[in-house]
Amino acid sequence: MTGASITCTGLGVRFLFDRQNRVVSPQLARLRRRGDESWGIRGVTLSIDPGDSVALVGPSGAGKTTLLRALGGILPPDEGSLRVRGRVASLLSVDAGLTPVLTGRENAVLLGVLAGLTRHEARAALDDIRERTNLGEAFEHPVSSYSQGMRARLGFAVAVRSYPDLLLLDEVHEALDHDFRAIVEEFARTLVARGGIVVATGHDHSLLEHICRRALLLGGGAVTVDGAFSEVVREYVGESSPPRPAGIAER
Amino acid sequence: MTFVLERPGPAPGLSLACAVIPFQLVMMAVTNGMGSVQSRESIVLNTAFPRVLIPLAGALTETVAFAASLLLPALMMVVYGVEPTAAILWLPVVVAVNVLFAISVAYLASIVGLWFRELRAFMISFVRTLFFLAPGLVPLSEIGGRAYDLIRLNPLTGLFEAFRAVLLEGHRPAAWELVYPTVIALLLLVALLPVYRREQLHFAKVV
Repeated sequence: MTGASITCTGLGVRFLFDRQNRVVSPQLARLRRRGDESWGIRGVTLSIDPGDSVALVGPSGAGKTTLLRALGGILPPDEGSLRVRGRVASLLSVDAGLTPVLTGRENAVLLGVLAGLTRHEARAALDDIRERTNLGEAFEHPVSSYSQGMRARLGFAVAVRSYPDLLLLDEVHEALDHDFRAIVEEFARTLVARGGIVVATGHDHSLLEHICRRALLLGGGAVTVDGAFSEVVREYVGESSPPRPAGIAER
Repeated sequence: MTFVLERPGPAPGLSLACAVIPFQLVMMAVTNGMGSVQSRESIVLNTAFPRVLIPLAGALTETVAFAASLLLPALMMVVYGVEPTAAILWLPVVVAVNVLFAISVAYLASIVGLWFRELRAFMISFVRTLFFLAPGLVPLSEIGGRAYDLIRLNPLTGLFEAFRAVLLEGHRPAAWELVYPTVIALLLLVALLPVYRREQLHFAKVV
């Protein structure tokens, strides 16, 4: 069992803008004339226990990516508290954190070290990663020559090789081909079975359903519904579907 | 260039290289530092890692190219028949001061690149100007009057003269040539690292 867990109370992430509507850091906001501010998420309180698999659903701009980035330690909380236990592996951008000018092999070493492996461990994992990605000779080529699917494969293979307790996926798995999706799903199920946590977002609900049992519906940066995946998605789809014209209903 | 290389005095080409090579490291540290966070957008948005290492990593990468470029003065010493003396043992110290200075300006450039992106071209021009406000084309000994005192305020002056002392003139560098750039570099790091540490928390918002 990994003992992974996530607890957050009143979590908020704020974006500050200057007069030219560029996002600025709090330090720069003190130097420059401030413009507007907006909250990517605010007042998010939730608890994710070992063995949970959670989908974040909602319309674009609801705060799904911001919440995932906060959980991954990429965005600091501006309000509230957040506690994440366990080693995190994240695929939060289509580029999967890869550096285009480096080869697949070089990226695998770099990301492995950044994920917490020693250089020796990262190098020792290369053969396994190459095999998992099924990239063949492309593994020795610069990542700039890769398709999105190939990048996502490499990013995923490196992420899982760091033996994570928590896996965060932000729509990236939607760029994967059918076979590799099955590998992602299998890994997610194994991780959850041994007490890990998977948190995933995306608009492909049928894909998310294979990975997640629970779902959070986000709207306006807040969690509006928390429950079983099928119920939450039903509520979301019901909310977002346009009302049928009266004539159609009558017919 | 012809004017410089054909100047009277000992090994003018080597003298010029003693300025251009350390300056190139500083220049590259600034150029890369200005966009160091933005150029790593993908990794910044995907992975939590100690981002305080970004300018350091960039400056050290440039140091590898810098180490290779040290072959140029070695070649020039052969061409001009300048024999190395025991003072060459000071070269690692001079290089270390050069690298430390480059690292410190990389942090400065990184913060400027994040906060004032519109000043990128100005910053690069400013650093280029510093070369001409230092004894780059001619050694400090050929500069007189009030300009001599003013030019010594430029930390690049100490670096250039230290390289010349070790590689061209065959004596150990004067203390100020090493101490002054070191002090400036340390002051920059002491002032900028806390700012950078606070700023790096928000990189994923501003890249």
